[in-house]
Amino acid sequence: MRQVEISNLAKFYPNPYGEPFRAVVDFNLNIEQGEFIGLIGHSGCGKSTVLTMLAGLNEISDGGVIVEDREIDGAGPDRAVVFQSPCLMPWMSAFGNVMLGVNNVYPHASKAQRKQIVESALCSVGLADSMHKHPREMSGGMQQRVGIARAIALKPKVLLLDEPFGRLDSLTRMELQDVMLEILDREKITTVLVSHDVDEVVFLCDRVVMMTNGPAATIGEILSIDFARPRERTAMMNDPLYYQCLDHLVSFLTERAHLRTTPRIHDSSSLMGFTGRKVETPEELEKLAAVNS
Amino acid sequence: MAVKYKLLKAIDISGLSFLSPVVRLVTGEEPAKQVREIGRFIVVPVVAFLVFLWLWSVLAPKHKTKAGEVPTPTVVWDAAGGIWRFHERESAKESAYQLTGPDREEKLTAARARLGELDALEAGAKEQLDAAEASSKERFDAIVAPSKAAHEQAQATARQSRRDRTAALREKASAAASSPDERSALLREMRAADATAEVEKAKVDALKDAYAEAQEVAFPQVKSARNALTRLAEERQFLVKYIDMLSDNSREAKVAVAKQKLDEATAAYDSAAPDADLYKLGGAVLKRQELLATTEASQYAKPWTLPKQIVRSLLCVFTGFLLASVIAIPIGILCGLSPTFMAATTPFVALFKPVSPLVWLPIIMIIVGGFMPDPENHWLVVAFGKVPFIKDYKIDPMFLSSAITVALCSLWATLVNTALGVASVDKDHMNVARVLRLGFADRLLKIVIPTALPLIFAGLRISLGVGWMVLVAAEILSTSEGIGKFVNDMYTNGSSQSFAQMFVVVFIVGIIGMLLDRIMVVFQRLVSFDTAQAAI
Repeated sequence: MRQVEISNLAKFYPNPYGEPFRAVVDFNLNIEQGEFIGLIGHSGCGKSTVLTMLAGLNEISDGGVIVEDREIDGAGPDRAVVFQSPCLMPWMSAFGNVMLGVNNVYPHASKAQRKQIVESALCSVGLADSMHKHPREMSGGMQQRVGIARAIALKPKVLLLDEPFGRLDSLTRMELQDVMLEILDREKITTVLVSHDVDEVVFLCDRVVMMTNGPAATIGEILSIDFARPRERTAMMNDPLYYQCLDHLVSFLTERAHLRTTPRIHDSSSLMGFTGRKVETPEELEKLAAVNS
Repeated sequence: MAVKYKLLKAIDISGLSFLSPVVRLVTGEEPAKQVREIGRFIVVPVVAFLVFLWLWSVLAPKHKTKAGEVPTPTVVWDAAGGIWRFHERESAKESAYQLTGPDREEKLTAARARLGELDALEAGAKEQLDAAEASSKERFDAIVAPSKAAHEQAQATARQSRRDRTAALREKASAAASSPDERSALLREMRAADATAEVEKAKVDALKDAYAEAQEVAFPQVKSARNALTRLAEERQFLVKYIDMLSDNSREAKVAVAKQKLDEATAAYDSAAPDADLYKLGGAVLKRQELLATTEASQYAKPWTLPKQIVRSLLCVFTGFLLASVIAIPIGILCGLSPTFMAATTPFVALFKPVSPLVWLPIIMIIVGGFMPDPENHWLVVAFGKVPFIKDYKIDPMFLSSAITVALCSLWATLVNTALGVASVDKDHMNVARVLRLGFADRLLKIVIPTALPLIFAGLRISLGVGWMVLVAAEILSTSEGIGKFVNDMYTNGSSQSFAQMFVVVFIVGIIGMLLDRIMVVFQRLVSFDTAQAAI
């Protein structure tokens, strides 16, 4: 079932001395219910812009986004966001921070029901013992767990993750990735993850959308990660396919991200390896792709 | 150990961080470091203060003024003691007036006994004064007599020589020839004589000053003996009045007299012949009854003492501060939320912020006076007159004017800080609010105000400081009872004590201002979720 339909999404910024600056153009993507999409690209290419437009926090310049047959208009709890920094209210406990959204989204639920929703969200991110701690008493990883709990407690249609693990150390990051996978396997929430970590997107995502370099960034390639769910880190890391996927992403980012072609779809049967040489023209790319397949 | 860390935390929150090395030293933590810290944060300030006191005591006597020498620290300390004694004695009289029964008798006996002791003490003090004067007389004569003689002699000589010159010139004038040359020569001589007289007068004046200075050479023993005698005389004066308040002039005695008179009037009314003027006698009874009731409810008319004036000043500054907060915080929040509202408010802030309290006060006094043509019966004054503690402090239009002036001068800091705090709400937090679709009230109460709270308190702290400074000035101008009024009274009074008492006020105002500031710092720290944000 198609849940999110992004068509011709574009973002222009006004430029007082000329044509408007085109940050993102022609972004077309359909997302299935329960699918986990990764959005990757060089920094500054506009992946976060796309995500904030989906969230409704950033005005859409052209095109549109349809979520469950309704075009989005502004931000709302049906599209919960986990930001790069935890963005917790420092004057509220973990419980209070999660309750802030829950109060608003479940206005008709009883007090006990709301309490139960908040507690189960905090438990599912592993904070059962720290519910009443304040952000200053928590580590960065714990704070980000609260951020995730706040988002999933809203029972959103789409979960938008804006580099949520970007500021964590790698051990904490792996822990939180496991937490995330576990929650999503259970809840089956459609998710879009913006990241610049290739390992992370391969491990977590069903499809990885690779964006070309800006300005006027758009989709360059889309790669299906053909691993079954539920996923297990050790098993994946022992599978050569995992590294081939990484290879493909790295080769796109280093060799092909600057090219403008029609978006190309790849899966495990059409992976392209890292060659160490920048592809100069679209024609050359065609040849290379023919060799690979 | 737990106690130690609790103590350290309390010290940290109260901002008295100079105490923490003491606590650490007592518990034996890194003694060398703590001693260094104590040296820097306790010993150095204390030494600096001692140097200040020393400079003060050396420099002050060098400047002579109309009100006497600039008082030295010891004189100021004595003046503070004088202020306190006055307060205690007035309070004693107040309670004496209301005492009844055996309590009164007991105090009365004690006071009379003390009065008896005073005779001997006074005689002793007089003796000491005489002895001191006698012992210093020789030295006094040695210093003063020569300068007195020199002055008197110079004065006599000058007078004589002037007389001689005048006589000589008169003679010449009467014999003046008719020739113009001789006439102009006479004028010249007269002018020269005037100049000589000026020079001589200057010499005499210089000698007079020297004599005056010699007279003022202080003899410490004489001075202290004289002070001791004055103090005893003051105590005697107080005791006489106190005994009066405990006996003939006590409320109990007055009530007894009033009762007796009432009884007499009633008896006269009851036993009057039928043809007597019953109307007149009845009126007398009623009048006596009324008088008895007033006497029973009467209080000692205690004058304003400085401690009471301080409390009134504090009440006034808090009234003004409350008023300022109630106005400034909501307006500040609106300014921070809406750039349009901010644009509308900016000119007023810019225009009125620099206006001095001395300009506001007369304007406010006239406006408040307009609202209260009959202040005694105005509902606000009547209402305050019924509130238990506050009724003792006489809330009048002057009090309200001073409070409003304090508010007008101090609200700007809170307003600007609140607006800044609200406007600087974290953009990420606002994004969260948008995703959660929080309503206006939730955004305001759960995100905006908590974010702005530390800055709001920083503004309130500045406001309270400004308000305290403004208040003293306002009280001097409005002669509303309070610390400022005390200073004004001392200035116009000009007794030998009042100059030093003004110095006492400097320290009292300073200490209270400092305490108010510390209290606000503690509040500011308590509302700061991020402790680093609260400055000391």
